[in-house]
Amino acid sequence: MSYAYLFKYIIIGDTGVGKSCLLLQFTDKRFQPVHDLTIGVEFGARMITIDGKQIKLQIWDTAGQEAFRSITRSYYRGAAGALLVYDITRRDTFNHLTTWLEDARQHSNSNMVIMLIGNKSDLESRREVKKEEGEVFAREHGLIFMETSAKTAANVEEAFINTAKEIYEKIQEGVFDINNEANGIKIGPQHSPTSPSSPSGGPGSSPGSGCC
Amino acid sequence: MISRFKNALLNAVSSPVLDASNTSSVSGRGGGSSSTSTTTSSSSAVPHSYSSPHLNGNSETSLTNKNARLQQPQHHGSSDYNAAANGFQERVKRYEYGRPHFLQLNSPDEIAVTADHIVRPIIVPRDLTHLPWETGYAETINSGKSKVNEDQARMHAGFVKVEIEDGESEIKEDKLTEVGSHLCQEGPLCDFTSKHSKGKGVMWFPHTNITKDSLIVGALESAFYEMDELIREENLKYDGVNGGCTAVVCLFILGKVFISNAGDSRSILCYRDLEPVPLSNDFTPESERARIRLLAAQNPHLLGMDFTSNEYLRRPVKRDLGSKILYRAAHMTGWAYKTATVEDLKFPVVFGHGKRSRVLATIGVTRGFGDHELYAHSTAIKIKPFLTSQPEVKILDLVEDSLLEDAVVIMGTDGLWDVTSNQTVSRIVFNTLEQFPQVDTARYKYRYVSAAQDLVMHARGKFQDRNWRMSDGSAATIDDISVFVIPLGPYYRDALAQESLTSISLTPLPNSSTLLSENGSCIADSETQPGNEVNANVLATNTTNNNNGLSSSSSFNNNHNTDSVLNGDAADPSVELVSEAIDLEMDEPNH
Repeated sequence: MSYAYLFKYIIIGDTGVGKSCLLLQFTDKRFQPVHDLTIGVEFGARMITIDGKQIKLQIWDTAGQEAFRSITRSYYRGAAGALLVYDITRRDTFNHLTTWLEDARQHSNSNMVIMLIGNKSDLESRREVKKEEGEVFAREHGLIFMETSAKTAANVEEAFINTAKEIYEKIQEGVFDINNEANGIKIGPQHSPTSPSSPSGGPGSSPGSGCC
Repeated sequence: MISRFKNALLNAVSSPVLDASNTSSVSGRGGGSSSTSTTTSSSSAVPHSYSSPHLNGNSETSLTNKNARLQQPQHHGSSDYNAAANGFQERVKRYEYGRPHFLQLNSPDEIAVTADHIVRPIIVPRDLTHLPWETGYAETINSGKSKVNEDQARMHAGFVKVEIEDGESEIKEDKLTEVGSHLCQEGPLCDFTSKHSKGKGVMWFPHTNITKDSLIVGALESAFYEMDELIREENLKYDGVNGGCTAVVCLFILGKVFISNAGDSRSILCYRDLEPVPLSNDFTPESERARIRLLAAQNPHLLGMDFTSNEYLRRPVKRDLGSKILYRAAHMTGWAYKTATVEDLKFPVVFGHGKRSRVLATIGVTRGFGDHELYAHSTAIKIKPFLTSQPEVKILDLVEDSLLEDAVVIMGTDGLWDVTSNQTVSRIVFNTLEQFPQVDTARYKYRYVSAAQDLVMHARGKFQDRNWRMSDGSAATIDDISVFVIPLGPYYRDALAQESLTSISLTPLPNSSTLLSENGSCIADSETQPGNEVNANVLATNTTNNNNGLSSSSSFNNNHNTDSVLNGDAADPSVELVSEAIDLEMDEPNH
């Protein structure tokens, strides 16, 4: 249960691009073709290993609908990483990236790592946005880029993990102030010198896991 | 109207609501899931003359049983400190912390995320089928004043909504279930036969007309009382049951809404194009100044040496001694002069204004559960006598008209109301609802949850310049916020449908047995009332923590003949005994 770091992610992008499906594929390794509208915010968590360190990803999946935009904006705060998702079969979702990016830059901390994701790569026949376009957009805006399929799971792991690697590197470089939780990074109990392998009470014993 | 009463109610049958059911609830349930009958023995009878003679509500609630129990010694764990008897035992935690069941936040991870004080996420139900009528709910945590969200919300049985807040401790969901169960049992499941309504079935007030309304009001009032007692008892034995909380409960039954409030949470009724109507009053030191001061004046020992029941225009200080000061005593509403004495230097029992007003310089709310062991700061003066669990119950009688379809009941904790007026709440709700037209089939069902979310968003605001601010730049609340948005149209249609039910059944619902085993009580068996022929009763109920089905109902023998006295509460001495109940029958909304 213990981890070295906890990274907070946020998934953003137009409605219907597959944000909730990406999360579900990453945390539960399953695909749900019909998904309810996300009204507010959903959560998922998973442990990964980077550089031999256990890292917990806490992922906030937001509502893409315009009506919920101002609420979504309030969730950028305190995120270390963002997955900005568009649907390669719907050009409008690609066209809206600039708006999303502006939102993200304005409301998040400046070091937030943003991964651009072109989702639904399994639907090659219906593709409206070329992979190169995504690459160009990412390069121009300093993002990492990947095409994924929440359905086939292609690149889903990589998208989440590569983002984490980037954050981890920034920590090593001292870019992130890891003592400020508003940056979306928490130092886990593993790091605590006083309790190298504390009894860790068992699941459910402390819901507020590592509040300090 | 009356015909609605006939079948409207659920199941049950039976008997003398005034008696049995009263007490059955809490004590029995206290033993509930974990420790069967231990609580029963220590549970106190409700020491009120109104209450039934029976103490507990295990399923065998026969008269004999009751009488036998009456003779049990009652221990009220009212010792000043946590029971010495238990002092050396290891105290275990009574309840696990959690969030409302309909949010389905099951893992510690998920619950931890809801407690993110930096972002203060607004949590809404992920699956709307866990609430009736597409009811909306949303909540958010405080900005750091406590580790977890101390509001709690509960929906019970499809008939009851309970919302509780501000638990300084961990009086958690199970407790709410108990209140809810009690209500279900007392409310929907009590049947009032014709015999009752004529008064024959009620042995201690043989000539009184007892209306259904008054019985429901009484059930709510005793539920609140017993809940408070249960907390008192459990606090002696367990960890995490100290502290206290306020509560507002809406009971949807009989085509009406019964709003029961103890504290500063609030419920209002909103119409699309009309002013919102308050459904509850807030109970604060300011609003209850008269009650508190009178209680203090009549029981000076409750004030110790440090407080006075007098009120002063300006609080006198030492150099005022011997000079004239303006004051009023508890029996006065106007002001008078007196010569200041040393007595006048004591601290007023109610002091301060608005949000800063306090009783005994300690608490800012005057009704609620718990806090049995709370003392005025650095004194041996108990707060509890001034802090009562007695709710004010109001009744909203619904009438079918064009207004009803759009009407919603809003329930919210003080986090909402501290920074949002009733009018603003109403405006936000209808603004949001308009963005979800019926033709938009994919989104339509989310309209109420979205309205609830927008209310919380409004009151929480955004984090700007190191503070939580509302959209107009003013300070947002840093408190926990919880909100229900409950549409009345679908409820009313349900109520009408209930009325048309004619089925007669004596069989409890399958899940009623679940309730039995889980809650240890709640289902009354057959029961006979001396001197009356009363029907055997089978109470079918449903819903427990994990059960969200509607309560069902089989009612029979509903041929009662009450006339149109719907607001019989005042005529019901039992209710008055309980509480000097402030039973406010509200006018029908469109009049």
